Order: sequence, then structure tokens, then C-alpha cells
Amino acid sequence: MPIQPGISNADVRFGDYKAIGGKLLRVRMTVTADNSPVIQTLRITGDFFMHPEEAIEDLEQLLTGAPLDETALRERVQTFFAGDVQVVGADVSDFVTALLKAV
Amino acid sequence: MAKQEWRLLLTGDMSAFDNMALDEAILRCAVAGASPSTLRFYGWKPSAVSIGYFQGIEQEVDLDVCREQGVDVIRRLTGGGAVFHEHGSEITYSLAVKDDYPGIPKKVLDSYTLLCAGLVAGFRQLGLDAEFKPINDILVNGKKISGNAQTRRFGGILQHGTLLCDVNLQLMFSLLKVPSEKIRDKLIAGVEERVTSIRREIGMADNDVVIQAMVAGFAEVLDIRLSPGTVSDEELALLERVKEERYANPTWNFKR
Repeated sequence: MPIQPGISNADVRFGDYKAIGGKLLRVRMTVTADNSPVIQTLRITGDFFMHPEEAIEDLEQLLTGAPLDETALRERVQTFFAGDVQVVGADVSDFVTALLKAV
Repeated sequence: MAKQEWRLLLTGDMSAFDNMALDEAILRCAVAGASPSTLRFYGWKPSAVSIGYFQGIEQEVDLDVCREQGVDVIRRLTGGGAVFHEHGSEITYSLAVKDDYPGIPKKVLDSYTLLCAGLVAGFRQLGLDAEFKPINDILVNGKKISGNAQTRRFGGILQHGTLLCDVNLQLMFSLLKVPSEKIRDKLIAGVEERVTSIRREIGMADNDVVIQAMVAGFAEVLDIRLSPGTVSDEELALLERVKEERYANPTWNFKR
């Protein structure tokens, strides 16, 4: 099933990454089709913990529009982690690794 | 100082939707001061798969097989992984307190250590050499016997978890998605090595005995007194409301 109307499955990219000693992060994303692609839609799922839980939507929002390079992704994930949120079972690098797997 | 008095709730078997809605209702009432701090034990009827807050329902669960088998599927308020709550094969507990309850660490990981120590003490009462394995598991003889999950919201802490009395991995893995059919048997063999149950370890898993052991474990570790109580009218009303808003609502269950 397409994750958004109008986006075919062929455009969807997946990345799974199990944090060492931690939890599984599963990334599903679509990217824009131009010369310098950015994340168009993003869904991060898995068996990790995040408090408050709704913050996951902020993280997804923050990463939407991000260029597909490690520095840019890391910067945004770091910004999110620096906020008022507790993530258990995965750290900044784990999220970046999972994102890069989907790229 | 006098011991804190908690309510002990034994609510028996209920549907997935009632179970998850009641956990939330108890949490909200405990936070509002309308209910005491509560430790609850319950079962699931019909059997159900619960998924963690962040999991993709279609990524994790074979919904067609669940439908055929009459197994309900529900998204929890808590993170963590998918759990198969087989009717009669596991006991679930939940614990709800205000988030400023004395002695409960602010750091989630530290609070798992404390609250899971209650379960570890309970398993030891049963003669099992249990240990807490961070992040959120309890092991006996190196194998998982309990998984736990926590949320902090509304100004409170809700932790719930499963105590495996029996395991039916064949059925469990027919309900959960596996990376590929080819590796299903291999996966089951692997999990067989890493998961155990109370029955496997001590030959029996009488619900009352297990629950009494856990009650004693929590009482010891939290230094509390647990008195049997009942679900309040306010909690029941709230249960119906959050069940409709959330747990029995496809928008909630399919939101990821």
C-alpha cells in the first residue's frame, strides 16, 4: 500500500537498523526527484522508546526536507535529541545509520 | 514511616481493547488523585497481539492470519515490541503512579531497573533465579521470561509487561510478520533458545501462585502495602471513553 496517495511503491525506500544492545529502527522514506534530492516523506517505526511518544512526529517533521547526506541528517537528529525528550534503546548515531540505510 | 498503601486490582480476562483502555483510565485517575497508586494483574480474552506505540501495524503483524485465528490486534500507549498475549498462557501486569512518586527515578532506564526489581523478587519467590536485563527484559537462566514497557504522560508513569507462563512460538510466529518464509523455522529455533516460560522452568504456572509471588515482590521492593480493591465508576467511564477514542479505533491502531 502506498504510504501517501500518488506515490508509487517504487519510490519508497526502506532501511532497517538494529542498534547494538538496543532496539530496531525501521525507516521508510520517499525522496524528491531532482538533482539534489531531499526527504519528501518519512516514517520511523520500531520497538524503541521515546518519551513523550508524540515527539516522534516532531523528529519526522524535522527530517522532512533534509538533504540525503550524513552531516545534514546528523545535525537534525542531534537538534531533536537536545530537546526535551528521552529516547531509550537507540542514540543519535543509530537513527542516522538507519536513515542512511534507507538513502 | 508508615508504608504507602497501594490498590491491588485483579481484573481477570478482558478484551485487548478493555485491557489497554483500563490501563490508561487507571493512570489518568491515579494522576488526578482520584485513584490510589495501583498494581493490576490481568489476562486477555480473546488472545491478542499488542504492538508498541512506534511500530508499523502492517510491518509487524499478519492481519489476515490474526483475523482467521480470532486474535485481536491493538496498538499500545507504550513503546517496545510486538507481544502475543495468548489467552491462558501469560499474565500481564500494569503499574500506575504519579511521576513524582517518591523514589522513582526520573530517568526512564533507571526506573525500569527499580520497577523490574519487583518482578525479579517475585520470580525469586517462585524459586527462579531471575535477573533484570536492560533495557526492559527479565531473564531466567539467560532466557527471556518477561518483557516490559513504560510510558510517562498526563503526569504519571504507566509500566506494563508480560509474564510468560507458557509459550507457543509456532502460533506466535504465524501471527507476526517474519523477514521471509524461508527463515521462519530457523527464527523460531533461535527464539526457542532465547525465550522461556514459568511452566518450562518450574513445571507449573498457577495464575494465583504467580500473582501472589509478584505482589510480594513489589511489596518488598517498593516497601508498600497492597490492598485488594475494585475498579471505580470514574475509571469505568474513562475506560469507555478512551476505548472509543483510541484503542478500539482504527485511526489509532493503524496510525503507523
